[in-house]
Amino acid sequence: MSSDDTAGKGGGSFDKARRNFLRGLGIGTVAAVAQPAWGGQTFQDVFADFFQKDYRRMAPEEIEAALERIERKAQARYDVEIDCQNTPPQPGVVYGYAINISRCKGYRDCVHACVKENNLGRDSQVQYIRVLQMDQGDFNLEHSDHYYEPETVPVEGKHYLPVQCMQCDDPPCVKACPVQATWMEPDGIVVIDYDWCIGCRYCMAACPYWARHFNWTTPEIPAEEMNTDTHYLGNRPRPRGVVEKCHFCIHRTRKGRQPACMEACPTGSRIFGNLLDPDSEIRYVLSNKQVFRLKEDLGTEPKFWYFSD
Amino acid sequence: MNTRAYLFAVALSCPFISTAVAQESPGGQQELRFEGYPDAPEIEVIPRKDDLFFYPCTQCHSFLEPNADIRELAAPHDINIDHGRGRIWCLSCHNLDHRDTLRTLLDEPVDFDAAHLVCGGCHANRHKDWYFGAHGKRVVNWQGERTVYNCTHCHDPHSPAIKPRAPKPSPPVRAGLQLESGVEHEKSSVWESQEEQEEQ
Repeated sequence: MSSDDTAGKGGGSFDKARRNFLRGLGIGTVAAVAQPAWGGQTFQDVFADFFQKDYRRMAPEEIEAALERIERKAQARYDVEIDCQNTPPQPGVVYGYAINISRCKGYRDCVHACVKENNLGRDSQVQYIRVLQMDQGDFNLEHSDHYYEPETVPVEGKHYLPVQCMQCDDPPCVKACPVQATWMEPDGIVVIDYDWCIGCRYCMAACPYWARHFNWTTPEIPAEEMNTDTHYLGNRPRPRGVVEKCHFCIHRTRKGRQPACMEACPTGSRIFGNLLDPDSEIRYVLSNKQVFRLKEDLGTEPKFWYFSD
Repeated sequence: MNTRAYLFAVALSCPFISTAVAQESPGGQQELRFEGYPDAPEIEVIPRKDDLFFYPCTQCHSFLEPNADIRELAAPHDINIDHGRGRIWCLSCHNLDHRDTLRTLLDEPVDFDAAHLVCGGCHANRHKDWYFGAHGKRVVNWQGERTVYNCTHCHDPHSPAIKPRAPKPSPPVRAGLQLESGVEHEKSSVWESQEEQEEQ
């Protein structure tokens, strides 16, 4: 700064001083941006993240830019090159799920396949699926135990009931959200915009199935176990402090693949398909088996049925 | 009632039989043959012959004298048939005359890759469920072509009940909480006093 210039000559020199000050500010900003002081991100990414809109209000090019930011963030955080996509819902498809509880043996293969598929933190307590163990003849969920750890399953005299997000058709969690960060997609999947969620956990209180989970910690995932096939509304790396839930493996099912829990189930208890297709397996189950839904009296219309045969 | 009228009555009453067709057998009497279920979707069954250790059976059995006597078998077939509570013997499903095939209850040869036709002979309800996707396991896709596992992929036909095995680890207990087994939430004083009143 040339302080002697400003001392000698009136107003014109003040302009010059201001110009110099602004130039200095600019240089300082550039220096700050160049330093890795933004959590391994660039200033532009942090800036764009801050002003990122709700998923449903973003233009296609804005979503594209958000996906690229997510990929860059994953690279910085996990040192993995992921592919984050925005596969749209298929027209004429509404997903439904059915579980044959007389065949479920409580192996928990689905739980661990889900953890792996959806990039859930290995040390956090978040698991989207809980397998409840109950006495045979008893269906009181309050008497159920999902921490069971016997030598072998099934245990004599027990039955098993896997519970995850029921993808309700009239979801109470969506109504509870004060910022509209969660909604039902046209294919019936209730999703969360993890960048829009403020972590207030109202939806967790509203959900009667304990299907929503809060991630208290930034997920710790070994780089080699990271699933690189991700979706914006699904299993992409989430920030800490947001609510997460099962999304019927949106990145797989929208491309015609089975959800990871169904693929992992060794008993074939899980049946998934399009409710609008009269020839699908799920429709055969619904019309030929005695199906029921959990807490049906609450009127949340789950798209998740149980049956036994 | 003549034969045709009887068949018609059976066809009306039983959906399983209704998809069978009557065929003239060499003996002159009519037999019912399974021809698939009406409106059943196209399925592709994963072949399993390559996984069979001793297949083709004719490697040995073309040199051995056929012996239909029910007896204790020696190695390599010293298996315990835990299926059908003692009413099933090897030749209920295996074909004595064409060793590389299985047989249905009507003594038709069935390829090893189509073993479900043998199982379906007795387990008709399961077989129908399997065809339509309510039993068994579909592979990879929920959409498009249906590729399914055969019955014998999951069930050992000689001992079809699924054996217990160890579960995967249980979920971690939430930080700050302790796992107490056998907690009865309804054992509060309110409930106990009510039970006592009911007893009196």
